[in-house]
Amino acid sequence: MSNLVLKTEKLHKVYKLGTRKVHALSEVDLQVRKGDFISIMGPSGSGKTTLLNMLGCLDKPTQGKVILDDVDVTKVHEKDLCKFRKYKIGFVFQTFNLMPYLNAIENVELPMEGTEKSKDKRRKRAQELLEIMGLSKREDHRPQRLSAGEQQRVAIARALANNPTILLADEPTGNLDVQTMYEIVRLLSKLNINHGTTIIMVTHDSQVASRAGRMLFLNDGRLLKRERKGMHLMKGELTCPGCRKKIQSNHKFCPHCGKEL
Amino acid sequence: MEHLGVLTRALRNVSRRKIRVLLVVIALGFSLAIMISIPAGIVANQEATQNLSENYETMDTPRGSFTISRPLYEITGVCLNSSFIDSYSILPTNITAGAPLYEGDSGRLLMSSNLSDYFGVGVGDKVEIYGEYFSVVGIYEPAGQGSSGTREVYMNISDAQIITGNAGNFSRLDIYAEDVSNVDGIAEVIEAAYSDELYVTTYEDRLESLNNMQEMCQTTLENAESTLGQTQATAFQEIVIAIGATSLIVLFTMLYTVRERTKEIGILKAIGFSNLNVMSQFMIEGILMSLMAGAVGIVIGIVGAPMISMLLLPSVNPFSTPQRGFPGQTENFGTTLSQSVTATPDPQTLLLAFGVAALLGALGSLYPAWRASRTSPMEALRYE
Repeated sequence: MSNLVLKTEKLHKVYKLGTRKVHALSEVDLQVRKGDFISIMGPSGSGKTTLLNMLGCLDKPTQGKVILDDVDVTKVHEKDLCKFRKYKIGFVFQTFNLMPYLNAIENVELPMEGTEKSKDKRRKRAQELLEIMGLSKREDHRPQRLSAGEQQRVAIARALANNPTILLADEPTGNLDVQTMYEIVRLLSKLNINHGTTIIMVTHDSQVASRAGRMLFLNDGRLLKRERKGMHLMKGELTCPGCRKKIQSNHKFCPHCGKEL
Repeated sequence: MEHLGVLTRALRNVSRRKIRVLLVVIALGFSLAIMISIPAGIVANQEATQNLSENYETMDTPRGSFTISRPLYEITGVCLNSSFIDSYSILPTNITAGAPLYEGDSGRLLMSSNLSDYFGVGVGDKVEIYGEYFSVVGIYEPAGQGSSGTREVYMNISDAQIITGNAGNFSRLDIYAEDVSNVDGIAEVIEAAYSDELYVTTYEDRLESLNNMQEMCQTTLENAESTLGQTQATAFQEIVIAIGATSLIVLFTMLYTVRERTKEIGILKAIGFSNLNVMSQFMIEGILMSLMAGAVGIVIGIVGAPMISMLLLPSVNPFSTPQRGFPGQTENFGTTLSQSVTATPDPQTLLLAFGVAALLGALGSLYPAWRASRTSPMEALRYE
């Protein structure tokens, strides 16, 4: 299928803890299409982060394939994997992981370092992304002068710097208060709907997970067969989490019940 | 707003750990200062040894003599032979105007040309010395001295004794024996006759003293050369130690930095930085720190080179311990040598120090940077 951007085939990951073997992932088959917004839920130790690390080319499976843009990245040499991480993957972490000695715009520019983009183009791209994140006025603030929500938005902007094929978010709301949590989820939804960004989000929180288009469940390293549709539908239409009526994706408040989206 | 680059990031990283970097830079600075000062000390030692050798080669025969502290009267057995004395005359011979001075020429004098120029007097003029008038009979050119030579006059000894209030007194008397075999006997007679007043030195004594001194100078020269060799060996060891210390300081600092910033390495790799990118960042940071230390080292080196080289190199003054010989002569000789040993780093050494600093920075941060580059991004991201 032409719009398949990421696919895993019988993914296995086994760790050795002393003499004991731990199966972190077992036979994970996953297909991600362009524009998907997938949330992966599961209890602690279910293999969520391990899966995300495989998809993000940070780790290699014991068995199986990870096909990213038609390339089996498990066969790619370690020294070339950095190119996949740079151009195909955007990472968002629970703890933001911004560079404390760089300001917001420099943090966003960081992944563009060493690309063919000129310095001016890098700056322009970073400014565009911060504008999308609503942080135009915070460009020259260092992370320690930004709120948690702002830091996460800078981190998302950084993840999108090289216009990656897929955005991987590992518990992106795990360190945020409830209000900021919804701000970030709404932002991810908007990116998915308005910009067509493909997103895989790992989360504990079922409410956060429910904002995605597809909800997957991982347990003991196995992807469960049951898969649910999230509250948000694709492209242009959303379902209001309050009244369950269909609304346009560009609405900030539900026109039917007035709920903030 | 400046554009981001690896250098900018390296600078920011170096500057955000001010206290640590300051301490490391000072420590490295001292090591580099040692590297700067020691070659300067070696050059100074070489120059000192060269000076010593030259001094030895050009050293005058010492004027050993005997002196008489009170009036010397006629000595039995010693005759005055004017023809013999004439051939050993101390009077100047290069008269440029007027006539020479002869024995018994009372109230007359010979004047050096520079003194005659200074006073504006010439042959036939009268000059007053200590209240007595003398007529200038001749002007002479001070031999080998030029216009800056000693300004002096020669006059009859009895005139000189009178005007200086030393009638009948001598400061030195040269006695020549007709037969060499009689010298020791004459010396004994004179010493016996004037045991309280005279100190007699025979030509043989003078020759022996001269030989002693030559021997001592030879020993001194050998000592200096040996000291120089020892100095060079010590310097080599100290430079090796300084290089090792510098590299180790950079190594441990950068290892600590890499460990401390493991998570940052993980993030950089997760967002697509290659091993080479990560490695170059840490190497540039190490080199930057070393260059800063180089600048500090140069300042310390310029200011403290003499002290550092004095502390770290063996003494180059061969007269640091009392030596046998002519006291006045050796003191002068030793002082001259001691004063000449002043280590001053030349611009080339200072420039080289910067190069060495950069090189050692690169060397010291090579392994930590390599280790950083090999860090697994997944492991690094988990690091807290």
